[in-house]
Amino acid sequence: MRRLLVLLAVLGLLASACTGGDDNESAATGETASGPVTLTFWHGYTEYEKDSLYALLDQWNAENPDIQIDPLFVNNDNALQKLTVALQGGEPPDITYQYGSSLPQLAAAPGLVDLTDWVQSPEVNWEDFVAGAREAATFEGKVLGVPALIDNLAVVYNKTLFDEANLEYPNADWTWDDFRAAAKALTDPSKKQFGFSYPMDASEDSVWHYDPLLWQNGGSILTEDNTQAAFNSPEGVEALQVLTGMAVEDESVFLDLQNSPYTGLFNSGKIGMLVTGPWDLGSFPDVDYGVEILPGFDGDHQTIAGPDMWTVFDNGGGRAQAAEAFIAWLTAPEQMKADALAAGHLPFRLSVIDDTAFIDEFGKTIPGVDTFAQNLANVEQARPVLAAYPQVSEAMGLAIVSAMLGEKDPQTALDDAAAQANDALALAG
Amino acid sequence: MRWRSPGRLRRVDRFRRFLVSDHAAGWAFILPSVILIAVFGIIPILWGLILSFQKAGLISPEREWVGLSNYAKIASDPKARQAAVNTIYYTFLFVPTSILASLFIAHALNRKIAFVRFYRLAVFIPVVTSTIATGIMFLWLFDKNYGLANWLLGKVGLGPFGFFEDPNQAMIALVLMTVWGWLGFDTIIYLAALQGVPQELMEAASIDGSSRWSTFWRVTWPMLGPATLLLVVWSTISALQLFDEVFFVTHGGPLGRTSVVVFYVYRLAFEQGLGSLSLAGYAAAIAYVLFLVILMLTLAQFWLGRRVVHYSS
Repeated sequence: MRRLLVLLAVLGLLASACTGGDDNESAATGETASGPVTLTFWHGYTEYEKDSLYALLDQWNAENPDIQIDPLFVNNDNALQKLTVALQGGEPPDITYQYGSSLPQLAAAPGLVDLTDWVQSPEVNWEDFVAGAREAATFEGKVLGVPALIDNLAVVYNKTLFDEANLEYPNADWTWDDFRAAAKALTDPSKKQFGFSYPMDASEDSVWHYDPLLWQNGGSILTEDNTQAAFNSPEGVEALQVLTGMAVEDESVFLDLQNSPYTGLFNSGKIGMLVTGPWDLGSFPDVDYGVEILPGFDGDHQTIAGPDMWTVFDNGGGRAQAAEAFIAWLTAPEQMKADALAAGHLPFRLSVIDDTAFIDEFGKTIPGVDTFAQNLANVEQARPVLAAYPQVSEAMGLAIVSAMLGEKDPQTALDDAAAQANDALALAG
Repeated sequence: MRWRSPGRLRRVDRFRRFLVSDHAAGWAFILPSVILIAVFGIIPILWGLILSFQKAGLISPEREWVGLSNYAKIASDPKARQAAVNTIYYTFLFVPTSILASLFIAHALNRKIAFVRFYRLAVFIPVVTSTIATGIMFLWLFDKNYGLANWLLGKVGLGPFGFFEDPNQAMIALVLMTVWGWLGFDTIIYLAALQGVPQELMEAASIDGSSRWSTFWRVTWPMLGPATLLLVVWSTISALQLFDEVFFVTHGGPLGRTSVVVFYVYRLAFEQGLGSLSLAGYAAAIAYVLFLVILMLTLAQFWLGRRVVHYSS
């Protein structure tokens, strides 16, 4: 009998443990019926960027007792994976921050809200967003996200190292030959000092540093109908030869396999020039740096933008509408200005960019951000928004890295990658 | 007919007796673990099996039955082949290196020397260090331009080596890092086995005029058989399942030279094939092939072990 009691006691414990879980669940779903809603909001901001966002969230929560925002930090690099897990559990966040390149994958997710009709409402003022951002938010004709952040690539250079080498600072008319010569002059093996650094992890980061060279030289990633690779054209090979010339012949490039030590090395004066975005500027407190738009081919200085998105999931009970109202407010000009000044994020509404008084003030926050803001005007093309893009990107990444390591010559590397990309494009249909 | 009613009675009776027996209480106590293993082990394993017969991405709810075509696809996938080659290469380097190194260290620590407890602790510390911490340390040590390893090697006129950055050295650097990380575990097993070798056997050998070298190979080494078998099986399984270090330190690079099978499965299922490309089913099929390979290898090792290994009574 005593054993039976032990058994009952153990089962009782288990049962109470289980029902404890159930109680929480019913509490979470119960509030959707009526009254105030609390929206789960995933973001990837840290430090001063987070402070800026949270200040806005506090303001919203104070003004809107019926729609409360509950923020949760999710690393941007893992946001798609975490969302997948949440979807498997049937409880996606109401709002999540995602890379624009994840949009084709996200399009297949159940519950993702199609925003196409809503963005035409006056509260959004959709046409006020810069064209590149609107394009990146659109997949197969449907608007699936609202632009959350836009970056672009420009040259960030260490003025002290340029002075020591008696070099003139980069200017807006630089060619890639000028850039290459400067990188070579800034390289000093005895001091372990490099002229330039390149992300060598063969990820999309390796690819989008190459895309502007390809585009400036008149090449493109895919054919116009997105069915065939086009990056192995003579223009593409010539663009890659700029990078291989520096990496293999001049040995003036710090080949950053990890794609992270470069910030520390630049900040300690070991790297002369970076091609990077405004998000890195906060990591260079010890360096007197300057920012200049990208060098060009034949006077074409276009750059590339990396737009990130707010995406909305419908969890029923009017939550999606509440999420839309909040997103409209968060991306409105007034909030965009506040966030730009506090976090150094580039404004991407035309009405804000054209506000010269504001742009002047913005340039004083972090040195160089105004150049990045103006550089948005040099964004002419977007990467293809395609389901098979991750595989195209992987093939290109490997080609760029193998050429820059001197394993393959640029033509062979790009031809091999084009064959792989074509296979992936054919399979995806 | 006439057997049914006593039979049923007996069954009820048996159930009642089961409830008050040790078995029931025992099951009740392990029930939490059983539930955990079922939820986090058995259910995913079965789900993975189902997935491997489907064309499915993890994000979309759409599932299409495709029979064995996921399995058929593996043979013609060059990246799967590269991952398999990399995994085999790693295993062939990792298993013998870690076993020989730990045998040497265990032997060195199995004697009466000053501070032996300190040395034993020092050898074991890497095992309890997190993979991420180990990874960061080795990235610094093995940095091509600024690392301590190249600086020291430079002092004796060697290098500089690219280590993780050189496509031909990355796997070897990975082996060095993981051998270092797991050395303590193997050493402890060998140390325990060495201390189980009967002293009288050693004495008998030395009275018979056997040298230390031949005593080791003729007496000690056979006595270590069960420990060696355990370590070979265990190291092989963990080598074939290598993931954390690759994910964190090299992310499969440079140029896919450290892309091992589990890492490739991860990339397919959780990075590239989440959406409409629907590669999770294909990734599950690769994972199942790996599972079968590990199962067969382990059975073969035990079968071999039973014929070669000497178990003292």
